[in-house]
Amino acid sequence: MAEVVKVCTQNFGKGAQDIEVYKKLGGYANISERLFNMSQFELIDYVQRSNLRGRGGAGFPTGMKWSFVPRNSGKPVYIVVNADEGEGGTFKDHFLMMEDPHRLIEGLIIAAWALGSRAAYIYCRGEFLPCIESINKALNQAYAAGYLGENIMGTKFCFDIFVHRGAGAYICGEETALINSLEGQKGQPRLKPPFPAVSGAWKSPTCVNNVETIMALPWILQHDPSEYAKMGTPRAGGTKVFCISGDVKNPGVYEAPLGTPMMTMINEYAGGVVGGKLKAVLPGGSSCAPLTAEEAAVATMDYECLASMKTMFGSGAMIVINDTHNMVDLLNCLGNFYSHESCGQCTPCREGTGLLHRMLNLIVAGKGHDGDVELMQSLCGGFGGVTICPLSISLGGPVSSYTAKFRADFDEYIAKNPDHAKPRVQETYRPGIFW
Amino acid sequence: MSNYYNMPKLPTENSPKVEIFVDDKPVMVPGDTNLLEALKAVGIETPHVCYHPFLPVSGNCRQCLVEQEGPRGRMLVIACYTPVAPGMKIYTPASSARVKNARKATQEFMLVNHPLDCPICDKAGECTLQENYMEAGQNESRMRPEFGKNYHGNPEHQFVDAKGQVRGGKHVDLGPRVLLDEERCVQCDRCVRFMRSIAGSEQLQLAGRADHTYITTFPGEKLDHEYDLCVTDVCPVGAMTAKYFRFQKRVWLLSHTPTISMDDSLGANIWLDHADGHIYRVMPRCNPEVNRSWLSNTSRLAFQNFDKNRLPAIDVESLPIGKGKIALVAGGSCTMEDLAALRMFKESLGDGAELFGGSLLKVGAPDGIAKSGDPVANRSGMKLMGFADVSEFMKRASEFETLVTVNADLFGEDAAAAKDLEKINCRIALSAFDDATARKATIAIGVRHWSEVQGTMVNSLNIIQKLNACPVCPDENLEAAYEVISELAGSKLESASAAFAKATEYVPALAGLTYDSIKSTGKLLEGGNA
Repeated sequence: MAEVVKVCTQNFGKGAQDIEVYKKLGGYANISERLFNMSQFELIDYVQRSNLRGRGGAGFPTGMKWSFVPRNSGKPVYIVVNADEGEGGTFKDHFLMMEDPHRLIEGLIIAAWALGSRAAYIYCRGEFLPCIESINKALNQAYAAGYLGENIMGTKFCFDIFVHRGAGAYICGEETALINSLEGQKGQPRLKPPFPAVSGAWKSPTCVNNVETIMALPWILQHDPSEYAKMGTPRAGGTKVFCISGDVKNPGVYEAPLGTPMMTMINEYAGGVVGGKLKAVLPGGSSCAPLTAEEAAVATMDYECLASMKTMFGSGAMIVINDTHNMVDLLNCLGNFYSHESCGQCTPCREGTGLLHRMLNLIVAGKGHDGDVELMQSLCGGFGGVTICPLSISLGGPVSSYTAKFRADFDEYIAKNPDHAKPRVQETYRPGIFW
Repeated sequence: MSNYYNMPKLPTENSPKVEIFVDDKPVMVPGDTNLLEALKAVGIETPHVCYHPFLPVSGNCRQCLVEQEGPRGRMLVIACYTPVAPGMKIYTPASSARVKNARKATQEFMLVNHPLDCPICDKAGECTLQENYMEAGQNESRMRPEFGKNYHGNPEHQFVDAKGQVRGGKHVDLGPRVLLDEERCVQCDRCVRFMRSIAGSEQLQLAGRADHTYITTFPGEKLDHEYDLCVTDVCPVGAMTAKYFRFQKRVWLLSHTPTISMDDSLGANIWLDHADGHIYRVMPRCNPEVNRSWLSNTSRLAFQNFDKNRLPAIDVESLPIGKGKIALVAGGSCTMEDLAALRMFKESLGDGAELFGGSLLKVGAPDGIAKSGDPVANRSGMKLMGFADVSEFMKRASEFETLVTVNADLFGEDAAAAKDLEKINCRIALSAFDDATARKATIAIGVRHWSEVQGTMVNSLNIIQKLNACPVCPDENLEAAYEVISELAGSKLESASAAFAKATEYVPALAGLTYDSIKSTGKLLEGGNA
């Protein structure tokens, strides 16, 4: 394993929670040396050239997102950090904020300068208590050192950061639901347009970025955007913090350049599959389609390759599954999770996720029926692109792909029902006769 | 359910027309509205559940999907939230199988947890889900009984029925007038949006999430707003039901008479829903300029007393009118026709007669929804017709020796102030009800109530609106006030159109109008001074 440049995780295990240690490791040098000599447009151009793409899951180019934020709208620009890490298998933001909170603060100051923002909100998952303590401690130190607050480093630039604890709803990781929740409303996604960049929190331009995206900024500014872009693939620059979990020897958080082969990640970084042979890998969190062992052998961890394999890079959370597991059990877990976390706004998601979960429960309980799988696939067809946010697809996608790729597992469960082949629909009341 | 949802823009007659392509055919539609309204304007109905033209768009039912040609190919969009843009290309189920399937899928999802109890549901016959299903769906269920239904509802209201199935709350008491059936609710949140955006009192909320979302009030609070019965109108299914109408009549047996509520000067447009000689309910009639789709509880529930305590018709050849001055007082619910007949009567009586109109009740403030606060419905009409205010009469009451009241319950409205009126020897009351004034009158003549007459009124916005007679009059011999009065005046006005023609003679602002030319949504009077 070659030595890789670490962008976000370089200070892990070095006690960088303390501002003195962080400064000794080169922190806040950007703020005192470079940042205020650069114009906003220069900075956005920097980020665009670095090819940084949003690390939250959708992978939208960060520089482009920033350029959408209108200037001189007469309203304040807010930066919101999405630290509501809820996707199954993702735990990177937690560690990043725990280990290196000052890097997040430094990144936020850079983003604030680029966007002309006065205030930022860190919307943190409510369960991350130690994490919130770590950030709050760091914020106090940064205020005391004059990096935050009024007239930072003797300039006219003023900037504040607030930490907001979420209440643990998965959907509040969707940016408009997050903004609703931040405003004190029910965390449900908003209709778009308007997009948050134009009218977000309190109807003001709002830029919602993932923790990891913001934490890459200090490095990019310290070094050079081209150096960052060099590390990744042509269309997405830099390194990525991967969370590897499941049946591997050393599950954990690993930073690697984009485009690293999947098997390298599993075998070299995480120490290989344990407990059996590799059966499937979820490359980007629980809501993406799984890759079979054969597909995993040729996959590389980047946006384009995984998209071409009809799955997604997501948040880079790899869940490794060995052949002792039945995929139906796994899907049932997902059904439980997503049917519970649906916000209840759009009809297909509200009713459909619950129905899929009930059907999966029946299959797992040995009451499955021939045709159930086809019905589930057909129901998932009703999810595609019809809802306000993609939560319905987060369950619909796995149901379609699990049933397509691991059909044998489903048949095995359905065969447990002795009556599985009986005619499905009983002769019942048909409205046509009466009307 | 953000507070930031916008009110839909509705097309008007003056909307600029733009060309869009529907199923590859060029169509001219109103350009300043959403796609759903634009398609409706050219006769293409889009099924929808959560969209309501007078409520902020929430876009959660996903039933109104259409396909739109965009930069990234054809995308499914919701018609209610998509603004019309010139040249846009739209595909409806007529040409797109994808739209058809998507709507079918949404409908299937909508019915997954909805009980199939239409035969005992009060909304059956006017239920949006039923209509959508009958028009576009009629698909056979693909569900198995084992899948079960996850009936929505507050866990506290759930119960296990005789078949051992867990059921959601039935007839949950939300307040003094409204009951909620949590099983039937489809979470369209129309009632929540109504209470928040129109009533301005956020008494209803959606609690919980996913398929255990349910409508509720805040703990210990009740739904008790002046407009709370409107939530039963906006409810697309049988979840919200009005206690007064629950299980009274199947809606398809009701006949509907479009008329005007004559207890407020805004003149809310209403339907009188009647069957077998009784009014069963009053529903708001959509008029974007006047009351939109809303109606206050007072106006809505007033019908319950329409057939009670009525005065009988009596045959009067002539009135025992003495010498001296005569006061003719018209009440708030007098139509333009009644006023015209009164003016005829005044002319026949000579110089001693004077015209007054109004009531002794206090004038309130407009609530911005469906009430102007003025209990004198036809006040603008009275001004146009040259009637002095009744307060003028009260000041000079001692001058008069004869008092003729028409639907003006002066004694009932302010007994203390009206005490002096007892000094007037000859008090003749024309009234629908056996009210305090009728009881104190020397002669009390029964006339038809405003719900039983043809006529017109001019509301506080100076819009002339038409009343229609609902065939529920308890006594066939009763006549409309204008018929009785004009007969006394010497030439009987046989019909409302004849009476209206008489009114146009008196009021220049009505010139050129005929009774039949007034549309159901009324006509704005240009020359009026009200």
